[in-house]
Amino acid sequence: MANKSVWNDNRFWRRSATWVTGFASILLIWLTFDTSAQISMGTNEDLQNGVTKRVPGPTVINYKITYEMSAKRGHEVPVIGGNDGKGNSLFQEKEKFFGRDDWSEKEAREMLHLGKLGSQAKNCMDCHTLLGNGAYYAPDLTKAWLDPAWGPNGTMQAITNKPTKEEAMAEFLQHPELYATHARMMPNLGITKEEAIGLVAFLKHMSSIDTNGFPRNFGKMKGAINGK
Amino acid sequence: MANNHLTSESKQLATWYLTFAAILFGAQLLFGLIAAIQYVMPGFLYGILDFSIARILHINALVVWMVFAMFGSVYWLLPDETGIETIGIKAGKLVYWIFVAAIVVVVLVFLLIQVGPASDTTIWFITEGREYIEAPRWADFGIVVVALTFVGNLFLTGMKGKQTGIVTVLMADMIAFAGLYLAGMFFTDNISVDQYWWWWVIHLWVEATWEVFVGAIAAYGLITMIGAHRKVVEMWLWIEVAMLFGSGILGMGHHYFWIGTPEYWWEIGALFSALEPLPLVAMFVHVLYDWGKTQGAEMNSEHTDEGHVKSVIKNKPAFTWFVLNAFGNFLGAGVWGFFHTLPQINLYTHGTQFTSAHGHLAFFGAYATILVGMMYLAVQGKNGIKVMKNTKASIWAVSMITGGVMGMTVALTIAGYVQVIVSRAQMGATWAAYFDGQGGAWFTQAMDWRLIMGVITFLGFVLLAKDLLTTGKNPVHER
Amino acid sequence: MLTVQKYYFKGIQMIDPAMIRPEIALNDFLPIFVSSALVLVFGGVYVGIYTAVKVEFLKPWAIIIAYGFWTLTAYCLYVMGSLMHVGSFTAKALVVAAIGLFILPFAVYYMEDNVHKSNEHETQGEENGK
Repeated sequence: MANKSVWNDNRFWRRSATWVTGFASILLIWLTFDTSAQISMGTNEDLQNGVTKRVPGPTVINYKITYEMSAKRGHEVPVIGGNDGKGNSLFQEKEKFFGRDDWSEKEAREMLHLGKLGSQAKNCMDCHTLLGNGAYYAPDLTKAWLDPAWGPNGTMQAITNKPTKEEAMAEFLQHPELYATHARMMPNLGITKEEAIGLVAFLKHMSSIDTNGFPRNFGKMKGAINGK
Repeated sequence: MANNHLTSESKQLATWYLTFAAILFGAQLLFGLIAAIQYVMPGFLYGILDFSIARILHINALVVWMVFAMFGSVYWLLPDETGIETIGIKAGKLVYWIFVAAIVVVVLVFLLIQVGPASDTTIWFITEGREYIEAPRWADFGIVVVALTFVGNLFLTGMKGKQTGIVTVLMADMIAFAGLYLAGMFFTDNISVDQYWWWWVIHLWVEATWEVFVGAIAAYGLITMIGAHRKVVEMWLWIEVAMLFGSGILGMGHHYFWIGTPEYWWEIGALFSALEPLPLVAMFVHVLYDWGKTQGAEMNSEHTDEGHVKSVIKNKPAFTWFVLNAFGNFLGAGVWGFFHTLPQINLYTHGTQFTSAHGHLAFFGAYATILVGMMYLAVQGKNGIKVMKNTKASIWAVSMITGGVMGMTVALTIAGYVQVIVSRAQMGATWAAYFDGQGGAWFTQAMDWRLIMGVITFLGFVLLAKDLLTTGKNPVHER
Repeated sequence: MLTVQKYYFKGIQMIDPAMIRPEIALNDFLPIFVSSALVLVFGGVYVGIYTAVKVEFLKPWAIIIAYGFWTLTAYCLYVMGSLMHVGSFTAKALVVAAIGLFILPFAVYYMEDNVHKSNEHETQGEENGK
């Protein structure tokens, strides 16, 4: 066998394939343990003790949430309950959510649970994107809670005739066909008032998740000139 | 379906699977057309079959027809590879009917009930609402049973018969394929955890186990269609497995940039995504090499006395689709994947029509092509054809489908570019920014073209279906 | 990573100067997409020509064209990386990818040819090794 070498030996490659696959899988599993710990949902205690979690506890809905530049990380991060000036959360400033800023952990968790279930039961992801994943027929919902359109100067509170962001959102979700702003309308999905409140809690909670700066410059830029 | 040349029950079952796959392929294109029309005319079927439902059916039909065609392909090649009849074929047939029935029920529920209240009942019986795996939970269990039966058939046959390299790779690959589905079968309130595991199913299926499956099928195709050397092909298959799993498993990092997961995924995702195209390029070299060598051997061999060089290809239409696979995989998964995979640029392209462009070309190029090729191989075998030739319909079908998908991809790429510039870079990704991007002239034009190209693809499919149904009896083939 | 006031935008007015700018300049998006698409297109052509020369579809001198295409690939990777402002780690990953692409057809061809030759020896008369 003139040309017999390790490079044309079937067994060598079979073993290599097995080792490479095994090694990559083990690395992935190890990283999964690390990531799972980092993205586990926080608790009310964490929020009260000022512990920053990538995915805060459900009672984050009692706090004011903003999306601000962190000099240290070089991109925007969710800031909960006020900014210390360097892009870190202070966990102090509260914000009323449907009239209350003292939702208990149990209540908040129930709302979030209903909202997450609702987001799946209504197939949200097949028109919208959540955390950027889903369909591209409707806007991304990752930071929808922080969207200026729903804020005090936005149009949606006026259209729905509601005094707060959360009430405007809940009203819209129940009757989207009445408040359409574009030809591409959201259909009525039979969302009840309870479900709507849950969905808004889900959206507010999602806006507090640390997405490594996605989307970039959310709501900060105005005036598209090109491309139209 | 008279004078059937198939003596193997396994191959018989394979034709059932491939036939149903082709039907679902048609359904996929039909619902894709409805969704494409809705981009152009938002009022179309509003309140009756909304975009979300059309899209669910579009992408689920895609996944399911491919799974069906993959099962069919395995049942087809098993007797050839192992030298024995597939074991447990009765269970295989029973499970086929269960699978078909379950799909019909799920589709009817999607069409007629569509959404449910925010409760566990909805998740169990109507929709799970997670892109690509919307099928309700009861159907998940059905899929697990079906997949396990299939894997059982494959393992029992592989262990009793001759266990070639191709069969070994398929056995390992299919058990991973079935097992990974379990990662998508739970509910959590934590959307980041939800997405983390959701990608285990989607990415590790599509960018790892399915790619390896394609490698195995391509190896089988090269051996049966051009008589490539088994040892060469199988050694190559192992290299391909090493490269695909080596880059693909951790390439998962490119889905973990923005879903709440830690920043180290940027580096992991960037490194392994940069490597992911290499196996695709290598696959391309390999096909060229094998074809060049076998054709060259034929040119030099003494029994070519007819004055002209005989082609070594035993099934022209199937070979065309297999070659398209090497190109399509490289273009769709490689080029269209690579240009938005690094985190610096993905920050702007994530969740835009770029992803959609990549999805269309990659699913078509990497999977649809080779599975259609398998359908042609089955038609050849079923009709006892020695050398199968291209017909007018087969050439038109492949050209129209390929042209149509390429056209859709280019249109969606342009639409994605508008979105990146207007909605993301200039306006900061808000609700208003989103609609400004969608209203731009370039975007709406691109969506018109996508629809036109979608219609061409569908017409191409009609021709393909006609050809698959009739070419078996066509007298042009050598028998 | 923080790039305040480093980039210049034509398309955007009404911008608060204290605001953090995107890391990618608006006019750089198109060159980034084009160059990163060309990376693999040129890479594919390089690999294709190399193999075609080796299996004697093309004359030996065409190999120079193949290396030319590899140079273009490396250049496109450089353009893409610098316009994206990739960090030092990603830059290294890109260099590894470029070198990997260079070696790839050599390695693949070497292995295929080797196995082909050795198998012609041992399996003469056998059909497809079956």
